[in-house]
Amino acid sequence: MKIALLGNPGVGKSLIFNQLTGLGIEVNRYPGTSVCLECGNVCYKKEKIEIVDLPGIYSLDGNSEEELLVRKFLEQGGAEVIVAVLDATKLERNLYLFTQATEFSPRIIAVVNMVDEAERQGLIIDVGELSSHLGVPVLLTAASEGRDIDRILPLALGSAKIATLQVPYDHHIEAALKSLEKTLGTPRSKSLLALQGTGEDRMLLDAAGAVAHEIELRHRMSVRQIIATNRHNLSRKIAASAVRQGDRKKTYDLDSLLTRVYPGVPILCAILFSLLLSVFLIGSWMEGIIVQYFTMYIILPFTSLGLPPLAERIGFSVLVALEAGLGIAFPFIFTFYLGLSLLEDTGYMTRAAFLADRAMHRLGLHGEAIIPMVIGFGCTVPAVMSIRILKTRREQTIAAFLISMVPCSARTVVIAGIVAAFVGIFWAFSVYIIVFILIILTAVMLTRITPGEQFGMIVEMSALRRPQARLVLAKSWLRIKEFLFIAMPLLIITSIGLGLLQYYGVTEIFEQLVAPITVTLLGLPEYASTALLFGIFRKELAFETLAVLSGTADLGSVMTAGQLYTFAIVSVLFVPCISTIAVLYRQLGARIAILISVYTVFLGLTIGTIINMLIT
Amino acid sequence: MQPSVREDYLEAIQQFSEKNAHLPHYAELALAAGKTESEVRADVEDLVSSGDVSLLSGELIALTEKGKLTGESVIKKHETLQCFLSEILGMDTTAASDEACTLEHAVSDETIDRLGRLIVKQEGLRHHTWDGKHGTGTAPCAVEDCDCTCPSISDCAEGEQVIIHCIHGRACAKRLLDLGMVPGERASIKRKLSDGALVVQVKGCDVALSPEIASAIGVERSL
Repeated sequence: MKIALLGNPGVGKSLIFNQLTGLGIEVNRYPGTSVCLECGNVCYKKEKIEIVDLPGIYSLDGNSEEELLVRKFLEQGGAEVIVAVLDATKLERNLYLFTQATEFSPRIIAVVNMVDEAERQGLIIDVGELSSHLGVPVLLTAASEGRDIDRILPLALGSAKIATLQVPYDHHIEAALKSLEKTLGTPRSKSLLALQGTGEDRMLLDAAGAVAHEIELRHRMSVRQIIATNRHNLSRKIAASAVRQGDRKKTYDLDSLLTRVYPGVPILCAILFSLLLSVFLIGSWMEGIIVQYFTMYIILPFTSLGLPPLAERIGFSVLVALEAGLGIAFPFIFTFYLGLSLLEDTGYMTRAAFLADRAMHRLGLHGEAIIPMVIGFGCTVPAVMSIRILKTRREQTIAAFLISMVPCSARTVVIAGIVAAFVGIFWAFSVYIIVFILIILTAVMLTRITPGEQFGMIVEMSALRRPQARLVLAKSWLRIKEFLFIAMPLLIITSIGLGLLQYYGVTEIFEQLVAPITVTLLGLPEYASTALLFGIFRKELAFETLAVLSGTADLGSVMTAGQLYTFAIVSVLFVPCISTIAVLYRQLGARIAILISVYTVFLGLTIGTIINMLIT
Repeated sequence: MQPSVREDYLEAIQQFSEKNAHLPHYAELALAAGKTESEVRADVEDLVSSGDVSLLSGELIALTEKGKLTGESVIKKHETLQCFLSEILGMDTTAASDEACTLEHAVSDETIDRLGRLIVKQEGLRHHTWDGKHGTGTAPCAVEDCDCTCPSISDCAEGEQVIIHCIHGRACAKRLLDLGMVPGERASIKRKLSDGALVVQVKGCDVALSPEIASAIGVERSL
């Protein structure tokens, strides 16, 4: 038995999903896309029930990855029962998606969530009235209080049925649907899509296109507009008869602070800065502890085993990879994800997008791009995956370049471990400033040369609400799991590979080959090139390898402040890590992945050389 | 060769071979298409060079894969249009068939355009431009490029109430429609930044828009 949750973004689907399934969630990447499907199992009356959380969407007609996925899911009858989650405070708008979903005639129930919020706004929802209009059972819930969530499963399993609701389309559309059904035998939902120019059947599209022409000329409106208007009108009618507006409690509108330039922009800067600073501080503190204990209780006992050299080399590489993964994943990335999930769950990120829109336009992007950019401070991999929220290839390309340059947590470790520790905290900030200037310059250049068109921001502002600790934790946990899943295997494999290269002396040959660059241009010791090479695998490895190769953790005693600073800047700028390159390749193709890698190598070496020249 | 003539030939060949279970000769095709045999010979030569038709031994005319696809598609278009015209516009079946015969081709774009103009004139409303591309396998371009002179939502001030009139341009239209910004819908401007970025409240939801998106939404001010 399979049940799927369907709904607009931000209706509390994930919260319901979490309460239904607990924490035992699997994330399945849908084949061929980067969209995640969250699945979880529950046991109800001794039957195993699989629950799928479909991505939040506004419509089933569009061509975004999420919309395509959900549409395909419904077309194929991916679940026995659909639980349509609706936001009680925005019932009319939410019913729009519901009217579309019913066209695929699944067995369905409607869950009207957030009734607590609706009560605060004085909205009273008549369940009986709504249910008779929709022709399916309706349940009122308040997921944030856990109210009536336990009734969802019994209702879904016991009373779900195919909705009787049918959108009364304009009579020309209805006639066109009838004509298409008669001549080609196409079902209603498919014909509706074909009339809007979506589908793969060329014959159907041609026929529908010809009819759509006629309709458009009569109405002076596109078929899309007519269909959308019909659906919205029906939703309005249903909402009007099912929702009553009672007394509204006056509440203070925080948006009067948050969405104005003043004090909104200072608040935005303060929030982002404190997020990064707390990740930096908490991360370095926790990393120190983890590395200390890991070294003391695992690595040292292992090296004292006295294994044969090759086995020791491999075992050591695996352990170092684990240490690096743990040392960065939990202290930095998990802390960052906690903060990010907190911000997202309060609904603040959409305000940030609105305020950042203007600045982002200067970078050739728009407000929505702030979300991948901020994620980039945590880890570049999920940040690159999230650029699909940008709609055009041009925006995705620009965003990918910039995100690959944003200092992620691993680079923060390099900056903290080398520059802040041995050169000075002020110099550490100067690294950030240099990187930001380069990001802006890169953006200015890219906006001029990247082909393609720009698409602006259209973002629904999510309501401000108090975040739920449980959900924030669950979300961060899912994200870190995804990170570990992608990064850990790569980390271990590459670590073993490099360990072997070192064992057979290949790295020494490499060092000598690139010595002209390392020594002459950058003014660094020869072994620094191996450290930089390791940095490709994970950025913070550059720092750790440097410590290993120089033979001391006190880097200040073997390299000058200038050398350390140059090394840090080069490794921060130089080539995104291997996981990032893999994700770039998957999202944007080989060409962009190579371009970004080459560009960042060039940038790293150039800036390194300039700094070296300035110092000496 | 005119695209409509080409489509007529492909349609005729396809229909002939479906009906008679053998491929047409020049003479048979000439009869089906209502032309002389010498005209057909010349035209078929053109069709061969455009890759729609191949000549088999014994002067049999066969459609290539490409020609067959076009032919079948024209027939379907014809049937659907005929069904639509007779059932909706209440035309007589034979008349509808004749009409569909003309409507199915690119050459009828002008007819459709004139028809559209006539309807618009009757209703006393402005004509909306239409690029008239036809038969490309995708749905036609919508009539969203209206040349109306109504103010855009970005010309309005914070706190103003408006009624959405039209949405220009296609790229952003879909998401706006999904969010409830359809013509005739009431909206209020909740926030306006100096660069023209807006927060618009529509159907009880706040939607943030970039300046360039906002300028594509034509509105009427309401009181």
